[in-house]
Amino acid sequence: MLRNYLLTAYKVFMRRKLFTAINLACIVLTLVVLMVITALLQTTFWPSGVEGKSGRFLQVYGIRSENPDGKSTRTTLLGYKTIDKYLKPMTGVERVSAFTMPGTVSVYQGDRVSQLDLRRVDADYWKILDFHLLAGRLPIDDDDRLGRLVAVVNASTARRLFAGSPAVGQRIGVSGQTFEIIGVVADVMHINAYADIWTPLTTFPSTDYQKDLTGNFAALLLARSKDDLPRIRREVARIATTFVSDDPRTYPITRFWADSKLDVFARILLSRPNVPDSGASRLLLLIGAGMLLFMLLPALNLVNLNMGRILERSAEIGVRKAFGATSLQLAGQLVVENVLLCLAGGLLGLACARLALWWLEASQLIPYLEVDINLPVFGCGMLLALVFGLLSGALPAWKMSRLDPVHALKGAA
Amino acid sequence: MLRHLLRLTWKRKSRNLMLSLEILLAFAIVFGIAALGLHYWQLYREPVGFDGTDAWSVAMQFSDVPAETISPDTYDLMRRSLLELPEVRAVGFATYAPYTMSTWTTSFKSPQTGAKVDTDTIEASDDAAAALGLHLTAGRWFDATDEGQPDLPAVLNRRMAAALFPGGPALGQRFMSAEAGPPRSYRVVGLVDAFRNKGPLMTPTNFVLTRFAPHTSQSRVRTILLKVAPGTPRAFEAKLNQRLKAARNDWGYQIDPLTSMRATLLKEQLVPLAVVAVIAAFMLLMVAFGLFGVLWQNTTRRIPEIGLRRALGASAGSIYRQIVFEQLLLCSVAIAAALVLLAQLPLTGALGDTLNWPVFAGASLLSMAVIYLLSLACSLYPGWRASRLDPVAALHYE
Repeated sequence: MLRNYLLTAYKVFMRRKLFTAINLACIVLTLVVLMVITALLQTTFWPSGVEGKSGRFLQVYGIRSENPDGKSTRTTLLGYKTIDKYLKPMTGVERVSAFTMPGTVSVYQGDRVSQLDLRRVDADYWKILDFHLLAGRLPIDDDDRLGRLVAVVNASTARRLFAGSPAVGQRIGVSGQTFEIIGVVADVMHINAYADIWTPLTTFPSTDYQKDLTGNFAALLLARSKDDLPRIRREVARIATTFVSDDPRTYPITRFWADSKLDVFARILLSRPNVPDSGASRLLLLIGAGMLLFMLLPALNLVNLNMGRILERSAEIGVRKAFGATSLQLAGQLVVENVLLCLAGGLLGLACARLALWWLEASQLIPYLEVDINLPVFGCGMLLALVFGLLSGALPAWKMSRLDPVHALKGAA
Repeated sequence: MLRHLLRLTWKRKSRNLMLSLEILLAFAIVFGIAALGLHYWQLYREPVGFDGTDAWSVAMQFSDVPAETISPDTYDLMRRSLLELPEVRAVGFATYAPYTMSTWTTSFKSPQTGAKVDTDTIEASDDAAAALGLHLTAGRWFDATDEGQPDLPAVLNRRMAAALFPGGPALGQRFMSAEAGPPRSYRVVGLVDAFRNKGPLMTPTNFVLTRFAPHTSQSRVRTILLKVAPGTPRAFEAKLNQRLKAARNDWGYQIDPLTSMRATLLKEQLVPLAVVAVIAAFMLLMVAFGLFGVLWQNTTRRIPEIGLRRALGASAGSIYRQIVFEQLLLCSVAIAAALVLLAQLPLTGALGDTLNWPVFAGASLLSMAVIYLLSLACSLYPGWRASRLDPVAALHYE
């Protein structure tokens, strides 16, 4: 039966090549946009590569202090002291890393000024994230302890600063301090990993940062296994209740949460700093709804095209009806045809999405972007194509199945 | 002719309904982008309130230390030592630099109506106006005579002056803060036309500029604003950084010319619009494909009808016009429906001042032009094809 459908579908598509081409072009255009978005979201929420251990670590981005009356609230990043005093002593965690957000610094080389994003990180940072080391070495505990002025740069920065010559061993002046470059890593674009240049925490010009409860820091907590994560989340939430802020009268209540990647984004985008549930499921729902909404116009377009195609085939439908095919069977056939076309479009779209992503990576619109289309993205793409096919095939199929066989046989719908 | 076309369109209403729904959606998308673009254009043409050429900003990076640990003399020292550089013309201090996404809000009480007025605010020193190229429409900027006065000096933008003192003159008037804590009284010493710190695409807000004086203010601001000699090269940054390090070695300094900050900010704000516009262009392309396909199929199905009209003496041109006009008619119906729906937005004020009537009118005209052109382009070829049919063959078409 299905073989028959496939054969008919193929014949119909080939009979009107122009319309099949137009149909396919519409499907491909729609799916390329959706697949590029899916691939970008996938790399953001469930990254591989440098943040490949994402499934095993949690991050604390932000500390929320408030007054019970809800009038005074303060949401900032963590200070080093908060991480050192409250998070580092946690038991049952493999590692805890403290690192700053990237900040812009200028590197002066003669007349040339290069603006770079600098992150100060501790030695554990390099053990939690899997940076791909291209040359030299990564900082170790000793560099931290001794406050050595060493720096790691990424490949693009190394090229920009020392075109042609090897970067390792060179010295650069960054806001009044001279750093020796000890390593070069591959370019990365992820929330925890992104930077142009990394230096140890202890290279701060003053030790004031060690006294700050709020500041410019975030923490990474690496669990021994995935199963530990719920326990760590609960533990961090409990620790937050023991937190004493620097102004306990104005801000007696403090909260912070250990979040997965998706949670971090959901919490910020949906602004939910004060409840345990980050709204991750809501964010995914919103994204799904947005995609459906985006499909509306293309689907309507395809509906219109399909309607025309059915009317052309009214003679065939009349014959089939006259020989006893039920409406349901006929509707099923058209939906299958349409879904097939959409899946073919999906495959083509996947190839085009790959090209679009290459272009996006090369354009440097988002710096250091590296997206690959892996199995989940492929699955999502095919699912999108299926949904799109059903969405755009259902209405014409329903209309077709209701054609009156007598009129349909005469070919006058 | 029109009545005839209307009847023909009505006869095939169920098919046309889907088509007009598609055109309606496409119109709404074009309208959205046109409205956003026009809104930005409208904002862009309004003054930002300061000049900013040859101005540099230095963000001082230090951790959250209590204010009293930073001595007021630090600011004086920095000012003096920077002014020694031959390139530097003026040195001012401010809470934050323009062209950053910083916002500080506070509220004041209107002495006339007693109402609480929320406003954006910034603290700026006596020389900040010269450094920024701030243009005052009335009154004066802060100076040393403000030191030790019972009322704190304030400069308001026109919007805030109208909100605090409706109907009356604002200059010289006193007003009070409405924040928690001990009440502070202010006196209006100057007025500016506008002050939009986030640059040309910022929606105008109420704005109050208050005076920062290192010795009397309790706050510790983190931004230096410099006016440099015209044509100062970017490499001056190194020298500047060295000089600042000499004044305070444990702080970090992020130095940027305001012109480059402006360019970065504009790019950040416009890139999302460009991305959406590109996606919308792809969608329009798709709609064009769809319309073209549907019209082609329609004319194919109507070959007997067209043949009959030709046989009864209609010219090729009149068939051509019929096909094109039918399409334009359908388009007009869809656009009218879309406009009725979209007009609810400015009528109810759902989007506030973002979608005011001029923007609405401009966006409607623009998107109408786009959709009509699209329809016309898509119906030209099917119409031409229909008009070229041989009446004899068309009448016998099966």
